[in-house]
Amino acid sequence: MGADSALERTVETILKNTEQQLITSLNDALKSSQSTIANSQTSLEQEYDKIIAEGKKEAEKLEKQIIGNADLDSRNKQLLLVEESIEKVFEKAISKLQNADRGADYSKLISTLLQESIDVIGTPEIIVQTNSKDASVVQSLLSKFPGATLSSDQIDCLGGIRVQSKDGTMKFDNTIDARLERLKPLIRKDIASKFGR
Amino acid sequence: MVAKGRIVWVSGPAVKADGMSDAKMYETVSVGDAKLIGEVIRLTGDVAFIQVYESTSGLKPGEPVVGTGNPLSVLLGPGIIGQIYDGIQRPLKDLAEKSGSFIGRGITTTPVDMTKKYKFTPKVKVGDTVQPGTVIGSVQETDLIEHGIMVPPDHAGGKITKIVSEGTYDLETELASTDGSKTPIKMYHYWPVRKPRPYKSRYDPTIPLLTGQRVIDTFFPIAKGGTGSIPGAFGTGKTVTLHQIAKWADSQVVVYIGCGERGNEMTEVLVEFPHLKDPRTGKPLMDRTVLVANTSNMPVAAREASIYTGVTIAEYYRDMGKDVVLVADSTSRWAEALREMSGRLEEMPAEEGYPSYLASRLAEFYERAGRVRAQGSPDRDGSVTLIGAVSPSGGDFTEPVTTHTMRFIKTFWALDAKLAYSRHYPSINWMNSYSGYLADIGKWWGENVSKDWFELRREAYGILQREDTLKEIVRLLGPEALPDEEKLILEVARMIKIGILQQNSFDDVDTYCSPQKQFKLLTLLVDFYRKGQAALRDGASLADIRAMPVIATLLKARMEVKEEDLAKLDALAGTIESEFKNISGVKVSA
Amino acid sequence: MSAQGGVQYSKIAEIKGPLVVVDGVESVAFDELVEIQTTDGQRRLGKVLEVGNRKAIVQVFEGTTGLSVSGTSAKFVGKVMEMPVSEQVLGRVFDGLGRPIDGLPDPIAEKFIDINGAPMNPEQREYPRDFIQTGVSVIDGMLTLVRGQKLPIFSGSGMSHNILAAQIARQAAVVGTSDEFAVVFAAIGVQYSEAEYFRRSLEESGALKRSVLFLNLADDPAIERIITPRVALTVAEYLAYDLGMHVLVILTDMTNYAEALREISAAREEVPGRKGYPGYLYTDLSTIYERAGRLRDKKGSVTQMPILTMPSDDITHPIPDLTGYITEGQIVLGRDLFRQGVYPPVNILMSLSRIMKDGIGEGRTRGDHQEISNQNYDAYSRAQEVRALAGIVGKAGLTGVDLKYLEVGDGFEKDFLTQGVDENRTIEETLGLQWKVVSLLPKNELTKVKDKFIDQYYKER
Repeated sequence: MGADSALERTVETILKNTEQQLITSLNDALKSSQSTIANSQTSLEQEYDKIIAEGKKEAEKLEKQIIGNADLDSRNKQLLLVEESIEKVFEKAISKLQNADRGADYSKLISTLLQESIDVIGTPEIIVQTNSKDASVVQSLLSKFPGATLSSDQIDCLGGIRVQSKDGTMKFDNTIDARLERLKPLIRKDIASKFGR
Repeated sequence: MVAKGRIVWVSGPAVKADGMSDAKMYETVSVGDAKLIGEVIRLTGDVAFIQVYESTSGLKPGEPVVGTGNPLSVLLGPGIIGQIYDGIQRPLKDLAEKSGSFIGRGITTTPVDMTKKYKFTPKVKVGDTVQPGTVIGSVQETDLIEHGIMVPPDHAGGKITKIVSEGTYDLETELASTDGSKTPIKMYHYWPVRKPRPYKSRYDPTIPLLTGQRVIDTFFPIAKGGTGSIPGAFGTGKTVTLHQIAKWADSQVVVYIGCGERGNEMTEVLVEFPHLKDPRTGKPLMDRTVLVANTSNMPVAAREASIYTGVTIAEYYRDMGKDVVLVADSTSRWAEALREMSGRLEEMPAEEGYPSYLASRLAEFYERAGRVRAQGSPDRDGSVTLIGAVSPSGGDFTEPVTTHTMRFIKTFWALDAKLAYSRHYPSINWMNSYSGYLADIGKWWGENVSKDWFELRREAYGILQREDTLKEIVRLLGPEALPDEEKLILEVARMIKIGILQQNSFDDVDTYCSPQKQFKLLTLLVDFYRKGQAALRDGASLADIRAMPVIATLLKARMEVKEEDLAKLDALAGTIESEFKNISGVKVSA
Repeated sequence: MSAQGGVQYSKIAEIKGPLVVVDGVESVAFDELVEIQTTDGQRRLGKVLEVGNRKAIVQVFEGTTGLSVSGTSAKFVGKVMEMPVSEQVLGRVFDGLGRPIDGLPDPIAEKFIDINGAPMNPEQREYPRDFIQTGVSVIDGMLTLVRGQKLPIFSGSGMSHNILAAQIARQAAVVGTSDEFAVVFAAIGVQYSEAEYFRRSLEESGALKRSVLFLNLADDPAIERIITPRVALTVAEYLAYDLGMHVLVILTDMTNYAEALREISAAREEVPGRKGYPGYLYTDLSTIYERAGRLRDKKGSVTQMPILTMPSDDITHPIPDLTGYITEGQIVLGRDLFRQGVYPPVNILMSLSRIMKDGIGEGRTRGDHQEISNQNYDAYSRAQEVRALAGIVGKAGLTGVDLKYLEVGDGFEKDFLTQGVDENRTIEETLGLQWKVVSLLPKNELTKVKDKFIDQYYKER
């Protein structure tokens, strides 16, 4: 679908730019987690000597516990770092989308979004809301969609539209933000796979 | 005119569709874009109420419903034996090939391999007149099953105008034609599951269905063509007992329906049966077994259908002149499926929410049992024995499914949680169970095993009854309140319980017990009792009797004496005699 | 990803109990996931229970408290509820709907799986046969647990079921080839302290990194409990069949699950079955319990240990009753033993492991295992009868053999049943103790074991 591939292209571009930077930070993360394990190994050895008298069983238990917890800690740190990187990609994507050129391509996108919203809601009698940047683009397209009117209330979003039926009982959020939100789990997976977790 | 409608309402397995004025009651329909299989169970105006045999998750109002014009039917022909089907006769193996380890939706398959070739031997020739049911030829379905190809019951028959010569053919080959009907006769035909297959006449059930289980065969026998029910709380060993019957019953075909029960139990049958040998023929048990598996987590509507699918297959093999045992585990889950659909239909509920037609449905089902003379020629006698498990909630036998079932069956094996808790298996309670076939079957034992059987069984059962009364006294006053001859009753009752009533299904020797071995064990214990009473009268002490080494041997004989060494049991009679002589001898010389 | 679905409806016809009825809907699917939004922007999840005649009945997992007819809208998401899964779920803690509550980000999903699962094809199942050594004598010896089995603990309020389950989780994890072992723990309406006991127990054994925790605590929304076991099992199935792990799933407390189900049924005004529980309780429970098992051609397994507290210790109550009909046996805790301070207080006479027979014996545990276990059952059951009798006639009225059985009863409880919370016994030790117990009896009382085993293991005491 047009809207999604535009989005994917954007993410792709940003990714290329930030990939190197992310890989570096990931490597740092890996190193730091390795040192965490190394450190805990030392603390484990000290622990071990201390409790040897208390019996081997107890020691083994603690060993498992300490190693297990250290493993888990470092894994969790990695998770957080990966997430930080993902957030960075998203921030970049958002700022890029925000400042996207409202040209002919963009107008096509909005047109697609409008048609889709009408199909989903099941009536052409709709009220369309958008942000200040997109208002004029939307207005210029409405002639192609009889029954659709632009609401004077503007909404805060990156772009795209939000529509509701005229009786107000049905709403459909087709803003870029909503679409990004829906795609987020897939994009996160893509980004994460780029640094081969 | 095929019905074409639109879904208007979905709730679980229940779907309503409008525009269905052309639909017929019990017609199968294709539901939704996913083409799920459903069955029309009520028609109101142009709205059809449909029970769907597959998960309806994701189904939407507005999606199409298309009729098939046919009622829910099973395919009857060679290739059924050895299969494991779901509730609507789809082979689970094929479902796995199409959707992997978990069951997908909207899958269509054929119940048997239509391209498989069988060697057909014609039994009629051009010019012969055939009726519905007449066997026109046969194929060897498995090593154990010679499969009679019959004129379908709904076929007009007439004079044979054409028949193929002996040779190998697949299922679609037109084997014969008659002048009475335009429809040629093939190796298979379809039959609607909710309609009993016709037969010529019915017999009284007088021949026992031997199961190799002592408490059943000796104490509470069931007849070929009879009906039996096995109710019990969970953990009382219902399924193990049913598996035992499916394994060892002396029938030619076994249909085992896992109706709303555990998946692993069906797997167990699938894993075990190919390796077990039929004690009479030495062939793998799977070569005579059909499984219908609609486990508890599979769609509930197909569970309702599974019982009918199974019994129709059973009747088909009966019509070939075979003895068929159908085991349904559990009819309670089937009744619950009825209850669930009834609830969704918003019908007025009777007891515990079950629909008011529960009793009549149960009656219709058990009425499909019987020993019959089949239609057509040659003369063939076959039987369908129906055995239904009941899973009463809370182990309470007064609940609706148990009480209604009891009205329609003649053998009742009541499982008892207390016995199960003390690991007395099978936990069939000998005071609450009964068999309505005893008198007729007694004749068979008299003619085929021993004329003493009836009397010995009566005496052994008498001991168990006396013990039951005496136990009450012991409970109040302790065993010392009883005189020695009554204490001996307690002692022998214990021996009957351990040595005969209990049977270890997991022991290679004990799992199956022939009628001869059953009779010999019974004879030994009754003999022990009679000699014991005599010894007490002669002044022997109870302690002496209790200390007799032969007791432990008698109790273990069921496990230690194999079928091929039954002579060892005869030798035990001698041991009993001499040991009693010893203890009486002590007295005399003293 | 398709933009299908996602329409938000604000015409609410009715709110009753945990249900919201949305009016004027188009193209809504049965079972579809729903996002309920309040005027103040709060979001709750729900699913479609019934749809037709432009109305959809939605069950709201987080309850309807605070929702109003005018201020509520419902967004139909266009898919059924899914759980994101990947290896990263190990070592994580989620809420009862599968959302992280450990301060870490959403797991990066390898896959999104329908939480309802699909029924396992019985033909594709592998029959469970692999003995799991739990190190608890009464279980290993008499109620053997097998990989792929579903074996519940039937307990009563206040008894030591969680301690026992935690001990099993710990010790089974130690013996199993630990890299392939995982524990999935679902707390369903239990108190914080109980969930925390479990977490700590897994942590102390170092098994936390191989565990996934789902917590719906006593003060969390009740209807969420419908979902908790399902998300937990979805993750378990993924770990087992996609990653090849042997997964032990502990679901506690299934009584709370059934109560949530009853609440929904009542709100829908359905015809109730026994004690107000819906007629489909059996079928519903089976869609949880039957998700245990093994598959042919797949390495892993899902073993389930659901825990339920029997209301008033009544085993005929619908929840334990229907559970017992589905599970492959049950471990029943006895109030009397518990009062006497016996741990674990397992009432073996009421307990059973159905598929034990296939997981034990020559080549798995030991040839005499089944028979010595039968003999222990028999002896303990006789001991109970004799105890009752002794209550009437006094010890003086008992025969010599009866007195032996009294000793057996005591020996069984003291030497075999009783065990330390951290005591991990090998199967050899366990079998040895079983012989020790019955060796209190004269040889000719041992009617359940073959003579060859008596010759080998019986030691007169």
